[in-house]
Amino acid sequence: MITSLINSTPIPALQEVIHFTDRRHEVLAGNVANIDTPGYKTRDLNVDVFQARLNEAIEAQREGRVSSIYDSEATMHSLTNYGSDDPMRSVRESLNDILYHDESNVSLEKQVTQVSKNQFQRSMAIALMTQQMRQLEMVISERVV
Amino acid sequence: MVSALDISTSALVAQRTRLNVISGNIANMGTLKNEAGENEPYKARYVEFMTDQDISTSDGAIGVKVSEIQTVEEDPIIRHQPNHPLADENGNVAYPNVDLHTEMVDALLATRAYEANVGIIEISKGMGRETLEILA
Repeated sequence: MITSLINSTPIPALQEVIHFTDRRHEVLAGNVANIDTPGYKTRDLNVDVFQARLNEAIEAQREGRVSSIYDSEATMHSLTNYGSDDPMRSVRESLNDILYHDESNVSLEKQVTQVSKNQFQRSMAIALMTQQMRQLEMVISERVV
Repeated sequence: MVSALDISTSALVAQRTRLNVISGNIANMGTLKNEAGENEPYKARYVEFMTDQDISTSDGAIGVKVSEIQTVEEDPIIRHQPNHPLADENGNVAYPNVDLHTEMVDALLATRAYEANVGIIEISKGMGRETLEILA
């Protein structure tokens, strides 16, 4: 019963966003860590691909094809499990920067901007999730806090 | 489990090693003898980084480690000092090939890279704290 209650809120979708931004943060941290590694090429997780897949999963749930976004094929297979040739792993064109003489192409400024954007996206998801949790609490306790 | 903190920490370790080697280069700018006490001027060293497979996630995030500490095989700087106790028969003394300018710039780069990673660590910590606040 609690599961269906949770599934009727945006919490599962927010959870996916938080999960994705966490993993993207790791990849971006790796880029900054390897700023002086010769031959290192920028890595990233593609936000657009992620959002398209999440959208697909949410649509599937809305149309009643699946009971939660976790049951959707889009979520089960592509939001969490993907190979290195998956479009999710492609680095956006704008982040493919100048190639330095040591064959590395990491631009610190661009990476830090991406880290901040990612952090902002995550904070937003967290804030919305907190609010959803409060509402659930309110419903469960049948009172206005 | 490897996290963003581990990855940034690997970079802190690597950059600190680089800074240690730079300090060694500057400290030995005037060293004319080697560890065994033989007349051999100190040779500048530099660190080389590589990606570290041991610190990586399935998403492609990867840490860094020092792959090697290389020795610069350049000819020593020769100065004409006939009265120097280590001068050869032509009155020349071989001095280490350390270039102070290069070392200073390199030290600055290492410091900035270190700072950048400390910044990322702060962000990672902030993210973790936010998560805990959901139910707090």
